[in-house]
Amino acid sequence: MSVRNAILGLLAHQPRHGYELRAAFEALVGGGDIWEVKPAQIYSTLTRLEDSGLIYHEGVEQDGGPEKRVYDLTPSGRSELADWFATGVAGEHHRDEFFVKLMLSLYGGVDPYSVLRAQRNRLYQDLHMLTQRRNGIDSRRELAQIFLLDKSIMHMEADLRWLDLIEARLDDIRRQPLPQPPVRPRGRPKKT
Amino acid sequence: MALISATNLNKVYGSGDTTVIALNNVSLQVEPGEFVAVMGPSGCGKSTLLHLLGGLDQPTSGSVTIDGHKLSDLPDTKLTELRRHKIGFIFQFFNLIPVLNAVENAALPVTLDGVRPADAKARASEWLTRFGLSDRLDHRPDQLSGGQQQRVAVARALVANPALILADEPTGNLDTRASEEIAELLRQVANDWKRAVVVVTHDPRIAAHADRIIFLKDGAIVDETVLEPRGSQNSQNAEKLAGIVKAMGD
Repeated sequence: MSVRNAILGLLAHQPRHGYELRAAFEALVGGGDIWEVKPAQIYSTLTRLEDSGLIYHEGVEQDGGPEKRVYDLTPSGRSELADWFATGVAGEHHRDEFFVKLMLSLYGGVDPYSVLRAQRNRLYQDLHMLTQRRNGIDSRRELAQIFLLDKSIMHMEADLRWLDLIEARLDDIRRQPLPQPPVRPRGRPKKT
Repeated sequence: MALISATNLNKVYGSGDTTVIALNNVSLQVEPGEFVAVMGPSGCGKSTLLHLLGGLDQPTSGSVTIDGHKLSDLPDTKLTELRRHKIGFIFQFFNLIPVLNAVENAALPVTLDGVRPADAKARASEWLTRFGLSDRLDHRPDQLSGGQQQRVAVARALVANPALILADEPTGNLDTRASEEIAELLRQVANDWKRAVVVVTHDPRIAAHADRIIFLKDGAIVDETVLEPRGSQNSQNAEKLAGIVKAMGD
């Protein structure tokens, strides 16, 4: 997702200026160390949203300081946000860097088992860290943050089980031909 | 010095054409306060290894030393004594006695060892209370949930004050949430009470609580992952964590 939708959602709650939006977003996703958004990204997104007519701003005078821009939704901003809430989010599961690495190791020169083990080591270290973090959170006050970590933990668990499946049948995979691009007719492509 | 040390363990079943090599030259050391997970596909030798570590079975060759005692040097009576005093076992199906209540079950190892029943029960209640079961002390196993039964089994494993805890698929019969609780409990057993904990599991989420994971395949150690370098217990690397969660959220 882009920060764009999050900004629309935060503004529907109450009008805010750029700095407040950034802080509110980071609080929502469990902290700036988990999902950092640069101020420049917030301000460029605000400019684009305003150019598209989804938000507008009012200047608020500050004592001695520069004018502060407080943003709010326009009616088309509200309807865009409603569409976003009404639409399911597509899962992105197929682009997998490790899979590409494993396939390339099958060309030879690199032991696919060692590629697999390196990946498993990495995932277990990450999973260990998330598990510790999760255990440090008080479920009576920050249940939502636990669910965010649970999501990552569950995905990693699935990835690790997937690695086990691959490892169990890696020799079978190696006996099969590697995937090849479809054969194209030779010669110059016909002019259309 | 390592609390438990296994050196070049081999276990062979059968002979001639029907020979099965269950363990192939496995060596392993575990320190007090360390939580080690043993993983691998079924039939990889995980349970065999655990049985050898616990003195429940003898290796074909190689040795196991627990707290300075080489198991193969001990006569049967001494081995039984060592098992009873130095090792606590936790099993997949809890193995609680149906007609005994939680306290009586947890107290059993020390009751059998000749400790006065009242003292044994007091020690058992103490562990059960630590594990959040203070209001379940007189419940029988069939009156407890799976997670609670396993907590009773963990208390039973600890009641004789053993230095080593061996667990064979301790969460294999539990749902995700109860599994997580048992894993946290075992983590605590290692951290707070400085026991060496060795857990055989196929559950990545349980293994993620450990300090170290050992991967077995066809009876041999094929890989080892250090999750928590010794001496840096519970350290957190916020920056690295940030990367992981962000990558998952994008």
